[in-house]
Amino acid sequence: MKQILQFTVNGEPRELLIDPKKFLVEVLREDLGLTGTHWACDTGACCCCTVIMDGKAVKSCSILAMQANGREVTTIEGLADGPNLHPIQQAFIDNWALQCGFCSSGQIMAAKALLDENPSPTREDIQLQMDGHLCRCTGFNMIQEAILDAAERLKGQK
Amino acid sequence: MKREYSIIGKPTGNVDGAAKTTGEAKYCFDMSLPNQLYGKHLRSPYAHARILSIDTSEAEKLQGVKAIITGKDVPGGKWGLWRRFRELCDQIALADDKVRFIGEPVACVAATTKDIAEQAIELINVEYEPLPGVFDPLEAIKDDAPLVHDDFENNINATRHIEWGNVDEGFAQADYTREDKFTCFPQAVASMEVHNSLASYDKGSKRLTVWSSTQSPYYLQLGLADALKMREGDIRVIKPHVGGGFGGKNSTMPDSTSAALLSMKTGRPVKIVFNREEEFISTEHRTGMHVALKIGLKKDGKIVARECKVITDGGAYTGLGATALYLSGIFQTFPYKIPNYRYDAFRTYTNKVWATSVRGFGATPTVYCAESQLDRAAKDLGIDPLQIRKMNVMEPGYEAPGQYKVDSCGIMPCIEKMEKRIKEKWPKVEENEGIGFSAFAYMSGGIFNWIDTPYAYSGARVQVNIDGTVDLFTQASDIGQGHNTVSVMICAEELGIGMEDIRLHPADTATTPVDLGAWGSRETLMNGNAIKMAAGQIKQKLVDLARAKLGENIAYDLVAKDKRIYLELRPERGFSYYDIVRDAIKLNDGEPLIGTGHYTPHNKGMISPAYGMGIMAIKAKVDKEIGHIEPQGVLIVHDCGQEINPLGARGQVEGSVHMGLGYCLCEDMPNDNGMLLNPSMNDYKIVRQRDMPQIELMDVPTYEAEGPFGAKEAAEATIAPTAPALANAVFAATGAEFDSNVLKPEKVLKAIRAAEAKKAQKK
Amino acid sequence: MKTIVNGFEYFSPKTLEEALKMLSQYDSEEKEFKVIAGGQSLNLMMKQGILMPECLVSIKGLSELDYLNYDAKEGLKIGALTTHRAIETSDEIQKNFKVLVEMEHNVSSTETRNYGTLAGNFCHGDPGGDPAPVLVALNAIIKMASVKGERTVPAEEFTLDYYETVLGHDELLTEIQIPVIPPNTGVYYTKYSQILGDFALASAAVSITLDDKKEKCTDVRIVLGSVGSTAMRAKKAEEILKGKKITDELLVQAGQAASEESDPTDSVEASEEYKRELVGVLVKRVGKEALERAKKA
Ligand SMILES: Cc1cc2nc3c(=O)[nH]c(=O)nc-3n(C[C@H](O)[C@H](O)[C@H](O)COP(=O)(O)OP(=O)(O)OC[C@H]3O[C@@H](n4cnc5c(N)ncnc54)[C@H](O)[C@@H]3O)c2cc1C
Ligand code: FES
Ligand code: FES
Repeated sequence: MKQILQFTVNGEPRELLIDPKKFLVEVLREDLGLTGTHWACDTGACCCCTVIMDGKAVKSCSILAMQANGREVTTIEGLADGPNLHPIQQAFIDNWALQCGFCSSGQIMAAKALLDENPSPTREDIQLQMDGHLCRCTGFNMIQEAILDAAERLKGQK
Repeated sequence: MKREYSIIGKPTGNVDGAAKTTGEAKYCFDMSLPNQLYGKHLRSPYAHARILSIDTSEAEKLQGVKAIITGKDVPGGKWGLWRRFRELCDQIALADDKVRFIGEPVACVAATTKDIAEQAIELINVEYEPLPGVFDPLEAIKDDAPLVHDDFENNINATRHIEWGNVDEGFAQADYTREDKFTCFPQAVASMEVHNSLASYDKGSKRLTVWSSTQSPYYLQLGLADALKMREGDIRVIKPHVGGGFGGKNSTMPDSTSAALLSMKTGRPVKIVFNREEEFISTEHRTGMHVALKIGLKKDGKIVARECKVITDGGAYTGLGATALYLSGIFQTFPYKIPNYRYDAFRTYTNKVWATSVRGFGATPTVYCAESQLDRAAKDLGIDPLQIRKMNVMEPGYEAPGQYKVDSCGIMPCIEKMEKRIKEKWPKVEENEGIGFSAFAYMSGGIFNWIDTPYAYSGARVQVNIDGTVDLFTQASDIGQGHNTVSVMICAEELGIGMEDIRLHPADTATTPVDLGAWGSRETLMNGNAIKMAAGQIKQKLVDLARAKLGENIAYDLVAKDKRIYLELRPERGFSYYDIVRDAIKLNDGEPLIGTGHYTPHNKGMISPAYGMGIMAIKAKVDKEIGHIEPQGVLIVHDCGQEINPLGARGQVEGSVHMGLGYCLCEDMPNDNGMLLNPSMNDYKIVRQRDMPQIELMDVPTYEAEGPFGAKEAAEATIAPTAPALANAVFAATGAEFDSNVLKPEKVLKAIRAAEAKKAQKK
Repeated sequence: MKTIVNGFEYFSPKTLEEALKMLSQYDSEEKEFKVIAGGQSLNLMMKQGILMPECLVSIKGLSELDYLNYDAKEGLKIGALTTHRAIETSDEIQKNFKVLVEMEHNVSSTETRNYGTLAGNFCHGDPGGDPAPVLVALNAIIKMASVKGERTVPAEEFTLDYYETVLGHDELLTEIQIPVIPPNTGVYYTKYSQILGDFALASAAVSITLDDKKEKCTDVRIVLGSVGSTAMRAKKAEEILKGKKITDELLVQAGQAASEESDPTDSVEASEEYKRELVGVLVKRVGKEALERAKKA
């Protein structure tokens, strides 16, 4: 039996009738067409699917969409300011922090949550907080550098 | 001549970066078409069994099921990548008479929703007659072993013999010989994007379009043509962004063939996405093998002979495994001059999912063995590991008779630079720490043409429009390695314009000139040459026109740079690129300027037109009570010719090291009678960032005359030395010798104890 | 990718009372109700088809259970909805129960810890769970409630077997209580897995209390994780240390005893023998750190 889901996605209020067994990632990708959130494992083990819910990075493949009821969700599509890339996005590009890019949405959303919480992280802080993110391409070092760089850029913005 | 480039060699962000960081980039995984159906495979629970019957009647009754196919419904075309040898084209769309590994597809359902497809496969009834299986190559070759394919005696799928010099004489001259045996375990590819395809058949034109997470649209087009018994030209393959390939997405797989067959049957688009478990149990991985290595050296450390015997665990089909077999014999000799060499190898069929090319293919397992053995020999002979390598490395122009020729070759300066840097970086090691080394070299694309293409290996077409904007068409594949960026950089440099002037149209078989795809580090050199040639044709037209307009002496050189065409020695005399383009198009009867380029290697031996190379050092600490290895830092000096994009090259190196550490430490595919025991991202262990050391990369630039702007392979090479450098670091720290990869703590502990016992015995 | 195949109804009660009432219908309506907190474990079990509840009762909306209270006399009270991350980042806990923060750093990923709850982890009853050994070492008390009333059990008695706890199906864990760490006491926890943050091959939590002169050990708790059907006390190992001045030598002996008491099984990652040996090393090392902490306490 379908149930009503009301939540805010990238600043827009949404109301949907969904099957409660659906995961948040399914609703985002399939019902809302927000395919920037990727999905790479079936066991909650890679954090590829990370989105921000009420300010915290969470795995959209491991949360039922109904668990997002009444909450505020930000996906990778909601990060840029109109045509202008967010400083984290630009830092990822400039530091070659992405290769195939499949894990990047999750990495960037987690980086956003991290920097919101801790604007001046050390490399160790980043390693600890981003440890759940698997990436088969990069070897992580350049992602860490991008986040350190993004922290500087964000400070410069203020 | 000093080479100064405007774009080449400058750290450049990814041209797909904005799309990939905003979620705009579309992977096949993200695509769907109106009226699309969802396909799902029913897979074999048996490693080896005869299929007696398949009953789909219950499943067909389920509301929403639109079509079901089994082995009987496929046109019967077999396919494979070894098209030159038809008997090795052994892949089939769905098992017909028997299944050969756990996870092999036996039927596929197309339904209106994923849930219905999932429920429908549960309703299909397959009657099997289980057969005995073979799971280890040493078992597979026995006379009484069950046959995986009836026509292949002793389950031998392919053999290789390589020989040069006189090995027996070589060993006779040796002061020191040693033999070591190794088992190299397979490694999963584990790309973050799983295999998936979307197929759409046009009933009117009877043509098929397939979007797929492939690393070679051309190979997929060929595979589909064979599988479906259609003309290549009636099949269009489009490669959107791909979430990693690493060698595992070269073969035509059932996600594509079944989606195509079901789309042809239903007349509706069909999408098939493997789940992660299907990805682990049914897609290709790195070849596992048994290796016996013998080396002979003079007292001073000079290698006089090497002999190697290899038997590989091929799995149920061929894939690119037969190539891996050949290259395993070649790359273990790199970057050394081995005067007398013999290699005997065969690949066996077993009842497991099959092994193929994976990042560093042909190199990673046997280089692990060879470089581990070299350090043991060096220790016995009392020679420093870097010294013994210096004694034996190739120099420019080195040739292995009948096999390969190495032109640009910076290995010696790489080692010298390493010697200097290592003293500053790690002046001393503490207790239980060690530094290990491994040299490496790798191809810039393969010359071997087992795919039997009649086309040039790479093609490109450049079109310059009236406003100076450029459309660049090529089938070359960016699967994450950054080739789209390299393509645009090369095109822009050649035309002397900005990257923003170029729009790239990649990887669509209907609109782009053939390229063989992304494997064997081939795109930069091969496709780079094709692009450079195509752009060069237009540049020539522009230069000729500018020369005519300037009325200059024919001997004067003109250059295209900074969006101008001008006299090299008198830069003020010249024209804007945009103005010249406008004139040139007017002179061309109003047609845009079109340049075409292609590349096929010639006179470069059998392996590759050029080789990237270098040396790696890893410092590691060993916890002797637990057996835990902690890599503490990595230092690499490499020669990749002219770096095209240093950022991209560094990214590739770091990724290779990461995967190489996994190969060394934790990535394991244990099976129980053919059943993979860890088919998930939790249980298949990949190195995470807290365990990932920092990497320092230094460059020794050379100029490779065969490559675009002097470029050659950069980075894939660095996966192979990672495991031996780390194992050698543990060897240096503890004396522990390993006869296999996957150094889980328990194995390390045992090896340390064995080394201590050996030492005690000696005393 | 894998999705949940079997459907269910989803309820989100707003109060504890409402939630308990719902759960009590389990018996009357013969419908299988299952509690979901963060769902970080439960959702996976449903995806794998191991659990197929007909109704899910989400307790995430019960804000009355989302708290962390510290009192210098009463100790720490952790509401059932407190996430791993809230514990990991609490200054109060860092100051008074550092071992909890250290433990949390290596529980899966930040993403799991952001949404998963400590209580949910404990209720899940996974013998590989990190919190259990620490909670047992810290003498935690578990408070539960149902429509019939409240009860408490010591953490040590909460888990019965693999994925099995004392919780009735109409019951909720409402609070985890951790008493103040006694004076002269040091507590430490370590797990080992080849890749940091993975489930442990073995883990050990040790709490050591010294006499006022900081010489003899007056109390000790050694708790092992991942090497049995539940987190388990290594009582023989404790006996070796109790009443004595703890030396390196004694810690080695305690490690050996713990190793014998442990009951690991072979897995893809390591054999039973290796895990036993690992227990010995961990107990020795964790004991040593706990001792140092006790001396400084
Ligand atoms: C990839 C991955 C890696 C992990 N690694 C680790 C690790 O290294 N160490 C570790 O310790 N854990 C690990 N976990 C497990 C995870 O930490 C916990 O299981 C999770 O935090 C549970 O909390 P939850 O709130 O999400 O519980 P849920 O998943 O919602 O619930 C778990 C179980 O407890 C029951 N339950 C929950 N709350 C209550 C309550 N208040 N009263 C009664 N019953 C309740 C549920 O019915 C269910 O049976 C990992 C999980 C994943 C997915
Ligand atoms: S896709 Fe969500 S954790 Fe892997
Ligand atoms: S960039 Fe490819 S998986 Fe991370």
